[in-house]
Amino acid sequence: MKTQIAVRNLRLCTKDCLCLYVCPTGATDTENSIIDVDKCTGCGACANACPSGAISIVPIAYPPQQKKEETVLGRSYRMAKNKAEQEAVARQLAASAGEDSLYRLMTAIAKSVRLVNEDLLRESGYMLPQSGNTHALLRDWVENPPFPGFPIAAAQKLLELLPNNDEDGETKKAVKKYRCKICGHVFEVADGETPVCPVCKATGDNLELLG
Amino acid sequence: MRYVCSICGYVYDEAKEKTPFSQLPESWTCPLCGAPKALFVPEKKAEPQRASAALVHMDEDMTKLSAGALAALCSNLARGCEKQYKDEERVLFQELSDYFLSVTPEVPGADLDQLLSLLKADLEERYPAVSEAAKAVGDRGTQRVCVWGEKVTRILHSLAERYQKEGGAFLEHTQIWVCSVCGFVFVGDAPPEICPVCKVPAWKFDKVEGRASA
Repeated sequence: MKTQIAVRNLRLCTKDCLCLYVCPTGATDTENSIIDVDKCTGCGACANACPSGAISIVPIAYPPQQKKEETVLGRSYRMAKNKAEQEAVARQLAASAGEDSLYRLMTAIAKSVRLVNEDLLRESGYMLPQSGNTHALLRDWVENPPFPGFPIAAAQKLLELLPNNDEDGETKKAVKKYRCKICGHVFEVADGETPVCPVCKATGDNLELLG
Repeated sequence: MRYVCSICGYVYDEAKEKTPFSQLPESWTCPLCGAPKALFVPEKKAEPQRASAALVHMDEDMTKLSAGALAALCSNLARGCEKQYKDEERVLFQELSDYFLSVTPEVPGADLDQLLSLLKADLEERYPAVSEAAKAVGDRGTQRVCVWGEKVTRILHSLAERYQKEGGAFLEHTQIWVCSVCGFVFVGDAPPEICPVCKVPAWKFDKVEGRASA
């Protein structure tokens, strides 16, 4: 199972094409310049060869996010609501602006406030789309649509597409731990799979179940 | 005496300049980031101690986020998917964000005064409050958000205030640029070489276009 894949930043790519020469599966050679996720094996050869630093290797599974304190979250959320109101006011002023300078200034302010608010909420528990917080929010919206006409299908689809990196114990417990009596290595296998020591390939009675 | 720009850190050193700082016209702006003269502070003057007592009144309940805030939350997640090259997910989060924006209620009587007072509330109450809570628990990520956000909010407040005082002449024959990373707003013919707040290069700035001519 591959654990990482290569991605290409098109703004940085200088088309030296070394990635095409070194890729063992042809994953970097595509009509839209986006590396083919299915073909990529995550070997990293392209990233090592790229002279412009346009290719980086990212993990497939992301770690859980840093936990945030309630005291910080409470105050951050209050500010997020204030910022949303600033954005709404700036949008309305832009929409009703007579002169172009006011229109541009208010458009700039609405855009700026949105960026600052995105940043604030990113640091308030919503950094990764794959987080438990994001999943909980999406699930809540699917079960209790927040407003009439809410696009439930979009939220449902996101729940299917995105893994949850904060998966609780219920889904995690399906592994068994073994110690190899031959080489001493301790390893885990998914429940139901035949255990084989990954170091010395020992099986059966040579493995001790730890729980 | 030396005066430091509170946005980008530019130093106006009276020993090296011809004009004492106090005699610079009020229309003088920071040569690096365009911050108005009023956002300069004398160097070394200790930061005024923030009165913690004022923060006691803060309501800390985790009430639900408003539709407008949820729009920002979802566009942030769309950005997170874009960075991971997950285009299908990006489009879906953007759909949710657009939906929340569409159900955001109109603010009654929206005007410049209201915008200025909302920005001021962030500068005087909310940033000190969030920053204090983040410092207390060693949350450096949120402290970083406060450093960037407070500077950007200061610039927005100064630009809106300037517009209110002298009208739009200062914007007429030039461009407005927004840093696509931190939201810093710059007025000038070309964007700054690096963003004075978050230090990204000029190409990360977006030009704000005027109304499309019919």
